[in-house]
Amino acid sequence: MIQMPVDARLLTAVLLLALLAMFVLVLNIGAVDIELGQAIGDAWRQETSIESLILFDIRLPRALLAALVGATLGLAGAALQGLLRNPLAEPGIIGVSNGAALGAVIVFYYGLAGFAWFMLPLAGLLGALLAVLVIFLLVGQSRSTITLILAGIAINAIGGALIALALNFAASPYAMQEILFWLLGSVANRSFNEVHIALPFMLLGWGMMLYCGRFLNALTLGEETASSLGFDVPRMRLVLILGVAASVGAAVSVAGNIGFIGLVVPHLVRPLVAYEPRRLLLASGLAGAILLLLADVAVQSLSATTEMKLGVITALVGAPFFLLLILRSRNTLQ
Amino acid sequence: MLNFSRFLVLLLLLASVQVMADKPRRIVSIGLCTDQLLLMLADPGQIASVSVWATDRNMSYMIDSVGDIPLNHASIEEIISFEPDLVLASEFVAWDTVSFLRKLGYPVRQVPVVTSVDQIYELLERFGAWTGQPQRARQLVFQMRARLAEIEARYAARPARSVIIYSPNGFTIGADTLEHDLFVRAGYRNLAAEMGISGFQAISLERLVAADPDVLQIDRGLSRQTSLATATLSHPVLEKLIRHRQNLEIPTRLRICAGPMIIDAIEMMAARR
Repeated sequence: MIQMPVDARLLTAVLLLALLAMFVLVLNIGAVDIELGQAIGDAWRQETSIESLILFDIRLPRALLAALVGATLGLAGAALQGLLRNPLAEPGIIGVSNGAALGAVIVFYYGLAGFAWFMLPLAGLLGALLAVLVIFLLVGQSRSTITLILAGIAINAIGGALIALALNFAASPYAMQEILFWLLGSVANRSFNEVHIALPFMLLGWGMMLYCGRFLNALTLGEETASSLGFDVPRMRLVLILGVAASVGAAVSVAGNIGFIGLVVPHLVRPLVAYEPRRLLLASGLAGAILLLLADVAVQSLSATTEMKLGVITALVGAPFFLLLILRSRNTLQ
Repeated sequence: MLNFSRFLVLLLLLASVQVMADKPRRIVSIGLCTDQLLLMLADPGQIASVSVWATDRNMSYMIDSVGDIPLNHASIEEIISFEPDLVLASEFVAWDTVSFLRKLGYPVRQVPVVTSVDQIYELLERFGAWTGQPQRARQLVFQMRARLAEIEARYAARPARSVIIYSPNGFTIGADTLEHDLFVRAGYRNLAAEMGISGFQAISLERLVAADPDVLQIDRGLSRQTSLATATLSHPVLEKLIRHRQNLEIPTRLRICAGPMIIDAIEMMAARR
């Protein structure tokens, strides 16, 4: 791992370039081979061809959604780790994603999503908010990793059970088997409809989290110091929590619960930003987008006829990483 | 010698009377497809019960024939309460119920999965024998053959067109299926079969779009309730594809079961070619 901090603008530029390259790579991958140049040419001439349909109506929204969800999870992971001052905090592990999935499941399967475009992400937001508030009440000011993980296990168990319950009573005969989507996440067969409904909530959440960068810097010195530096600690904390809930809630409501991105990404990026929480936010967002696009490449190239879920890949890579982190912090656990 | 042959004739006569008397009188059907064949072939007096699905407006072709025949939900307790002398079920459906009924000593006949129109003819004849209505079954098969020949002749001049079926969870239907035989008889090329798919298999949206069918048959399934499985069928790319192609919707009740109603489905498809 590189231990040397990199110039902020250089790092952002490099990450952006990598993201762009990854994005183009993903657009080239799919079930059938198409010429991107031909597809773009057809679209330019406003001709509806097979190539342009596949590129602009299937692959582009899918890649966009993967990048947006990845960015959200990376950013939220960095924000939660800063807020709880705990290296193992992550939307999936502490149960925020399952809370969001529960809200989305209730709205989606019980016909409430049709009332307005924002119903689905709003339900995700409320579910995520509920979980994050419970975590905050349980863990509070203690920086104990074990309390955080145990609280996360409990919230995840309750969330998972309620999701299964809601799907069990749903009218659609397909609902129960779709629990895999909600617990493991996927961007397959998603369209611009999902991008449109999730994007406003994601942007709002990103803005709120990035706004709290300096506050997170101050918080590393403790709450008293942060407040003596002029930060209204309860208010800033609320802004952060709402930011996490809005963006993660929207992401999960359209792509399910994709785990471990929010855990792994901040740890990979942290040495590059001189361990500064404020700089970690933007860099984690960009790296999260890259990583989730990479996971989607893996899903599409490894899958046979039925696509595997994104969460399978992210867990296979992320869970060993999680174990490594636990081993490293074993002293503080005891 | 003469006496003996007389005796033989008498014996045969008696035997045939015996067979007539053996015609089942308390038949219980526990599934949609056996319900419909039973309602077509048997006398109302022979039917003790049909399943609730026979009264589903969306799925049942024989809904008007149900009348006041008692309905069942395919549960063991209900079935034996009718004291059936014949239980009819589809193969691969409710196998645990069927094996339990057999253990209790009730005669059960199972209808196999059918993969072609020719197999429907065989099925009807067998069904006629089970229910003691061979004459009616033969007549039904004769009518089906005549109608099919007439439909094939009527639309023979139209060019063959390509078709693909897309159903919830992205499933399409390839060779060795009844649906495939219906497409072929209606004058279509089933692109799923040409892709090498046999039976039911999921294909991605990309492969569906790339197949570029003349006609798209979107099967929205039995349920109109929201689910991700059916949401895929509302993907904007399908709406665009339909705008440039033909969309073929065949009512569920015409194609869900093997029986004479599939001739109606073939006629609808051929007429749209």
